[in-house]
Parts: sequence; C-alpha cells; structure tokens
Amino acid sequence: MKKFVNDPRQFVAEMLKGVALANPDTLRYVPEYNLIMRADAPRADKVSVIQGSGSGHEPAHVMIVGKGMLDAACPGDVFAAPPMDYVLETSKLLATPKGVLHLINNYTGDRMAFDMGKEMAEAEGVQIKTVLVDDDVAVADSTFTIGRRGVAGNFFVIKVVGAAAEAGADIDELVRLGDKVNSVTRTMGMALTSCTPPAKGSPLFELGDDEMEIGVGIHGEPGRRREKLANADTIIDELLEAVVTDLPYERGDDVALMINGLGGTPIGELYLLYGRAHEQLEARGIHVRRNYVGEYCTSLDMAGASLTLVKLDDEIVKGLAAPAEIAIRTF
Amino acid sequence: MTENPLPQVEFVVRTIAQTAVANEKYFGDLDAVVGDGDFGYSLARGFEIVLSDWDTFDRTDAATFLRKVAVVITSRIGGTSGPLWGTAFLRAATVAAGKTAIDGETVVAMLRAAIEGIQARGSASLGDKTLLDALAPATDEIARQVGLGSDGPTTVRAAAAVARASADETAKLEARRGRASYTGERSIGSVDPGAVAVAVIFEALADAWPAAS
Repeated sequence: MKKFVNDPRQFVAEMLKGVALANPDTLRYVPEYNLIMRADAPRADKVSVIQGSGSGHEPAHVMIVGKGMLDAACPGDVFAAPPMDYVLETSKLLATPKGVLHLINNYTGDRMAFDMGKEMAEAEGVQIKTVLVDDDVAVADSTFTIGRRGVAGNFFVIKVVGAAAEAGADIDELVRLGDKVNSVTRTMGMALTSCTPPAKGSPLFELGDDEMEIGVGIHGEPGRRREKLANADTIIDELLEAVVTDLPYERGDDVALMINGLGGTPIGELYLLYGRAHEQLEARGIHVRRNYVGEYCTSLDMAGASLTLVKLDDEIVKGLAAPAEIAIRTF
Repeated sequence: MTENPLPQVEFVVRTIAQTAVANEKYFGDLDAVVGDGDFGYSLARGFEIVLSDWDTFDRTDAATFLRKVAVVITSRIGGTSGPLWGTAFLRAATVAAGKTAIDGETVVAMLRAAIEGIQARGSASLGDKTLLDALAPATDEIARQVGLGSDGPTTVRAAAAVARASADETAKLEARRGRASYTGERSIGSVDPGAVAVAVIFEALADAWPAAS
C-alpha cells in the first residue's frame, strides 16, 4: 500500500482536522463525533440537513458541508456507518425549532445507526425526519436485501434539499422534495481496480489487469459480474443502457447527467466518458440540460466511474441551479 | 452455577472483547470477500473501548454491568456491529436483571433474548447468512447440554464445536442481509464473517473456561 497515512486508526480524524484547518471561517470540527458542521449552524430559521455514512467517499460527505448543502456530516470510519452516538449528538447539536433532516444512504449499518439515533434524539425533544437515498440500479431490490444502495445520486438529493432548506422550506416540504429527487435519480458504476482501505493495507478485492467489475459498490462490494476489460464507449454504453431502462428515461425527457469518478480515475478520462454518454442520450432523444463531471462520491482510490441521471422538472432545476458554497475550492 | 454470577459474566465479556481485538485482521479479511472489509476493524475498535473503559463499568450486579457494556457497544461501535452486538448485550442484561445466580437455564434464556434482539434490529432470520446462523445452533446445543446436566466446560466445548460447524455451513448459503446480500449468488462459497466470529469467540471461551465452574 502506498498512501499518505500515519496511523490507519487516525486516518479519518487527521483528514477531518485538515478539512477544518482549511476552512476556518466557514466550518467547525467536533472531534468527539467526527462532526464537521457549518460555523453558522444551527440557525433557528432553517431546518438542519445532516448526513453520516462511512468515510472514504470524499468529497461526500464532510466536504459538501456548506451553505446551500449539508449543515453537518458525522461520518464513521472508512466504509463503516457512524456509531449511534455520533448521530445522536450531531442531531442534538444541530437541533433547531424547524427540525433536523437526516439524509441516509440506504445501507444496513446507516439505517440502524440513524434509526436508533433518531429515536434517542426525539426522546430528548429534537424533531427529526428522514429521507432515504437509494439510486443504485446495480442492486436488485429483493425481499431479502434492504433494497438498492445509495451512491452518487446522493449529491442531487443534497443539492436540491439543501437549496430549499436555505430558502426556509419547512421539514415536510424537504422530505417531499428529497423523496422526489431520489425517485427520479438512477446510478450505475463500474470499477477498473479495487480500492485499498488504509486499515486493511491491501486491495479489497483482486481484479486482473485485463478485467473490470460491472455494477460495483462504493465500498468495494462486488458488482453484477466481472468480465474482460472493454473499450470506453462499450463500458459507458452498458452503464447508460442499464440506467436509462431502469426508470425509464424516455424520449423528450430533460435530464441532468453526472459522470462521477470513484477516486482513482483522471478527470480527462471522466470527460471522455461524459462525451460519449451525452451524445448517446441525445441520440435517444433525451436532452442533457445540466452536466456534472468530476468526483462526487468516491471509493477511496478505486479507478472507475459511475453514471447518474436525474429526470428534471422546474422545481428540481431550480434547486440544482441555486448557489452553494462548500469546502472544496480550486481557485 | 455460582452464588455471585458477576465474575463469570465479566470473564465472558472480557473474552469476547479480547477475541474481537485479537482477530481484527482475520475477521476483516473474511468480510472483504463479499462485503466491504470493515467488520473486523469496527468490532476491534469498539471492543477496545470496552476494554479501556473496563474499570469504569458499574458492577452493582451482572445485569447492570451488561447494560453498561451494551451502551458502550451500541453508542461507540460503527458499522452494523454496534447496533447488533449492543442490542444482544442489552437483551441479555434484561433477562439477567433481578437474578442473584445465573444458572444454565438463565444463560440459555439470555442467549435466546440476544438472538431475538439481533433478529429484530437487523430484520434477519435464520438462514440469511448472518451471525445468527452460528449463535442460534450453539444456543440450542447449550440448552441440550444443560438438559443433560453437563458441567460448564463440557457445555462450552460442545457449543464451540456446534458454532464452528454451523459457521462453516454458512458457505453454502446466499447472503440475504448486509452488504454481502447485494452480491446475491456470488456470496455462495464464502463463510459469513459474523458467524465465524461467533465460533471463534465460543472456542476462546472453551479454551479459557474456568475449570472449577
């Protein structure tokens, strides 16, 4: 393993310290609960929007705390849901008269931690509601699993809900909006390589130089299948086909298109994928009105990409177009 | 078994905690096969806290002690392990409450309550390829040994053997809970890390069980 790491056990804490030191005016760091929160939160005139989930998906979730986005994030260790305590204390710290909204990516650990944290915070008088994100089409929704996973589509739910929360929407309105965005958002990802969690020190799975994993999860969970590496157009066409046919997205629809890098793929390759996906959508009569290319929800150092579509209407476009300020700055 | 059950309860909890810490890498590697590899790490970090907070736990009686341990596990362990293992300890504590001695029947009742708690919290059933698939048969074996009038060491050794055999059997199952469930049929062929952890813990208990009990 070649990584910038000191003690793997301190990996997340040291990352969070860096986020806080780089944003002294806008963010606050509470080390006891891995909590990164807006310096101006909680504000009595708005619902606090918070998220937990595991670390290792940066910029999700700690780096998208900011005006018009999340009010706070309390991640667990790498790929592990936060302990219930983090959820409880974050909910209490962020409590406002208008309530607290939990945005939860649909994983067993996150569901349990947030369910228990919600129950305990409510017992202490905090009003909490929940929106679940489950945009991954790679996962069959059977009676046995907890359902689809929440992956890169999470960004769109945060963006629209965050904008509405900033504008003063009440908590029921935010739940309606979040559920709506989630219901028209679909994602599918694939991996060229495994990722390497710092605490493990070796790749989570073995993938040959000539192999790829289609439908991979953002925690290195195996996907739908493994096969011989194909060229870029073939790969993105397969992801697009799976996503388009799932909702389905149809001729005449307006969409947002996201090509999300999983952490180890250069931005140039992501634009190459974007170009093909954009052209193929237009060829199907599906119009790309908003585009997103870059890293939104990663899997540590995994090479690979995911494709997300959001079916747009005026309300969603308004939320996506609203200004936001987050910790990542490249200027 | 004993007039004051606290030392024995402490011994069991300490063995579980030490086993979880000692097997961090092994459990993590098992989880990496079809899961995300965090199981060993989460369990170890959490039980490290149990061991480091050890002297601060209220020891008024066995139930109070178990409840304090449950709170630490539930509130401080991330992933799925905290809520599931914490619930198990909490339910066991509830059964132990008010008991001045913990006999074989009480141990079985505590384990059955723990199993019900895990089932409810994780919406899991037997055969879903989870830790329940080792814990439930091992508990049945303890009940059988208690019925036969076996002594402590014999009972724990028998439970460990059943837990190990049951954990090995999980390789044949398709995961229906947790992140491994997303892989469906591809989870067949690898053992469930939670079930193996149960087996390893029972084996550690069997190895270290006080001969006099």
